[in-house]
Amino acid sequence: MSNPIEAENLTRTFGDLVAVNSINLTVEEGEVFGFLGPNGAGKSTAVRMLTTLLKPTGGSATVAGFDVASEASMVRKKIGVALQDAAIDPLMTGNELLRLQAVLHGISRHGGKERCAELLERVGLTAAGDKRVGTYSGGMRRRLDLALSLVHQPKVLFLDEPTTGLDPTSRVALWEEVRTLNKEIGTTVFLTTQYLEEADQLAQRIAIIDNGRIVREGTPTKLKSDVGAPTLRVDVVESDYEIAKQVMRKLGEERPARKGRIAIGLDGGTRAITAVLKSLEEQNIEVQHVELDEPSLDDVFADATGRRLEGGADT
Amino acid sequence: MTMTSLKKTSQLQVTVAITKRGLMRMRRLPSLMIPSIIMPIFFVVAFSGSFSSVVELDGYSTDKAVNWMAAWAILQGSAFSGLGGGGLTATDLENGFFDRMRAAPITPSALISGLVGYSVTRAVLPTTAVLIVSFVALDADMPGGLFGFVIAYFTAIGIAAVMSLFVLGIVFTMKTLKSLAIAQVVMFSTMFLSVGQAPLEAIQGWLYHVAKYNPITHVIRMGRQGFLGDVTWAETQPGFISLTLLLIGSGLWARACYQKVDI
Amino acid sequence: MVRQPQAWAPTLFFPLLLAAVYAAQFSKAVNLPEFPYPDVTFLDFILPACVIQGVLFGSTNSATDLAGDIENSFMDRLLSSPVSRSSILIARLSSAFIYGLVQATILIIIFFAFGAELSGGASSALALVFLTSFLSMGVGSFLIAIALRTGSQEVVNSLFPIIFVFIFISSAFFPVELMDGWYGQIAEWNPLTWIIDWTRVITIEGFSWDAFLRASGVIFLISLAGIVTSIHQLKRRLAVAS
Repeated sequence: MSNPIEAENLTRTFGDLVAVNSINLTVEEGEVFGFLGPNGAGKSTAVRMLTTLLKPTGGSATVAGFDVASEASMVRKKIGVALQDAAIDPLMTGNELLRLQAVLHGISRHGGKERCAELLERVGLTAAGDKRVGTYSGGMRRRLDLALSLVHQPKVLFLDEPTTGLDPTSRVALWEEVRTLNKEIGTTVFLTTQYLEEADQLAQRIAIIDNGRIVREGTPTKLKSDVGAPTLRVDVVESDYEIAKQVMRKLGEERPARKGRIAIGLDGGTRAITAVLKSLEEQNIEVQHVELDEPSLDDVFADATGRRLEGGADT
Repeated sequence: MTMTSLKKTSQLQVTVAITKRGLMRMRRLPSLMIPSIIMPIFFVVAFSGSFSSVVELDGYSTDKAVNWMAAWAILQGSAFSGLGGGGLTATDLENGFFDRMRAAPITPSALISGLVGYSVTRAVLPTTAVLIVSFVALDADMPGGLFGFVIAYFTAIGIAAVMSLFVLGIVFTMKTLKSLAIAQVVMFSTMFLSVGQAPLEAIQGWLYHVAKYNPITHVIRMGRQGFLGDVTWAETQPGFISLTLLLIGSGLWARACYQKVDI
Repeated sequence: MVRQPQAWAPTLFFPLLLAAVYAAQFSKAVNLPEFPYPDVTFLDFILPACVIQGVLFGSTNSATDLAGDIENSFMDRLLSSPVSRSSILIARLSSAFIYGLVQATILIIIFFAFGAELSGGASSALALVFLTSFLSMGVGSFLIAIALRTGSQEVVNSLFPIIFVFIFISSAFFPVELMDGWYGQIAEWNPLTWIIDWTRVITIEGFSWDAFLRASGVIFLISLAGIVTSIHQLKRRLAVAS
């Protein structure tokens, strides 16, 4: 039995622009796979190819064992898709949308009715089921979108930036729902996100995409430990900045940091910090702020691309 | 291939569901529909009123302008209704709802048929409205009797289907609501360059030749015959053949253009 | 204007299509008894109406722009600047007039190219251009009042069909003498019918001061009413703003 998602050298170009550049992916049965990257990195293009909405210009991919290009309708039967900016008709009610979705997936009228009620219950929209979607809040829309993508009990679920634009409470509620789905039913989930926390919280494995290429792949723990030592960040007065930088460079590998701040990788815990501070003091450098951070996914991203992700940790 | 693995019965249900969705939206957003009812009513009133005397010229074969203009207003209205499926699709394409349908295991034909079904059902409203106004307020005649009404409705539905397919092709290609404006220009030009307002005998110059070979001319004659006299096969046949060919042509066009959504 | 062909291209296309189709379809209508000008072609008959139709469709543009300025609050900035209040109105009205001038000139040139004839020559052509531009300003002033009142492009755009109705229920495309019953009666009362009929006298029989002054007089009254309403609406908007 093949894996739920396999991509080999999957590529998509738009004219001269290479949106997705020869990516290789394997997502295993029953896992939540996080696809992390900044806006415009190629996440949505990759998802659109895997969900048969966009034809690859190179390479190939199979989803649920079927080729996304030549066996598109078999793939469509097996997958659930909740796309970015939940495309929902505001004039229809939640119930009507679910029924339409059921018909689109060939579920009989009788079976559809029960299934829709069950799904509304599941995402907590039973009371709002007969209200027009135009009256729903952002969080309700996303939950409805999730319910819609589950109508036909898909083997693989694609969630494209499911929480972008949601308030923190709705975001956590949606995470909980995805976790339950994955645990109880064993649905394989392919999740794209630009939020580090989201990937960290939900995904068992992560791929980081930047400029159309996958730059890192693995479990969050493994990716973090691969980055190596924790990061030491030091703020100094502006006039001392250049000297401080020289001093610190000698003590550890320099890492990207915001303006006016110096960051290095530092093994050896608190004792090592003392050593750094001592060296700085010897040069009469006035230290304003010190912090030590275990590596985060943001550091993984920074390590791979040399940039920080928007909304990432304060560097 | 895999398309054949999609069950025929379930695809029919898809078509019905898409048609129903369009009609439901129309009910909830009446501003979508009102212009396409008001406009043909105004047309039949204005054309019959302004051109009340033209029926004295040769070729009209009726003594009341309304008998001539009612069919013209009906077919204008149903052409306009044909924009319905295209308008819905353009909206869906712009806001992403269309992807939801494309990500489902449905055939393009089921999807297109559903949209045409919506346009065609819409066309019944303006047709009925024009008929009511024509008979109640403008004293129209229907010497063709029941068959006259049947053939008028049949033609109205046929024109709505042809125009709907044509507009869908344009929308699939351009993917914006703005494309509807272009579709309208082409659509109404085609309608106008026919025997819509005047019989071939009355038309002179370049328009005579254009109208003579415009297939819409035959279709309008088919739909109008009951207002002017008996419904005959001789008057029906050319229209029926033209309508069939137009349907096949516009259907192939819409289907071919659908590939452009699938990029 | 140059940057937005989609705004004015249809206002050229549709009058020309209608003129071409009507000229060919109703060419024999001039033979009808009671037709007031049996010796001219049908194209010559509908020429003034087609020019007026094209210009009136275009006359919504100036008001739509104004409504757009109000919608995106460019108007507020203008009002808070030392620009004189009356110049705002004058600018809009002259833009409607100039728009009509350009549109009418283009349409007349095209009609000439297709064999239309003006019996009065240059003086008739000038009179036609002036009257249609003047009318464009007059109707424009009403639309501007509505734009000031509602501040909504959608509302202004939706007035388009009403203009269409006014044109259709007039002598624009067919002589009122040949219209039956109540419809003919309404057309007779439509001020557009008077304007078109007097303009037609100028284009078919040759320039006449009598017809010119009568048509100008009607348009003047329309403009006066429109401008008074506009000023009232502008004052109202200023009062609300301050």
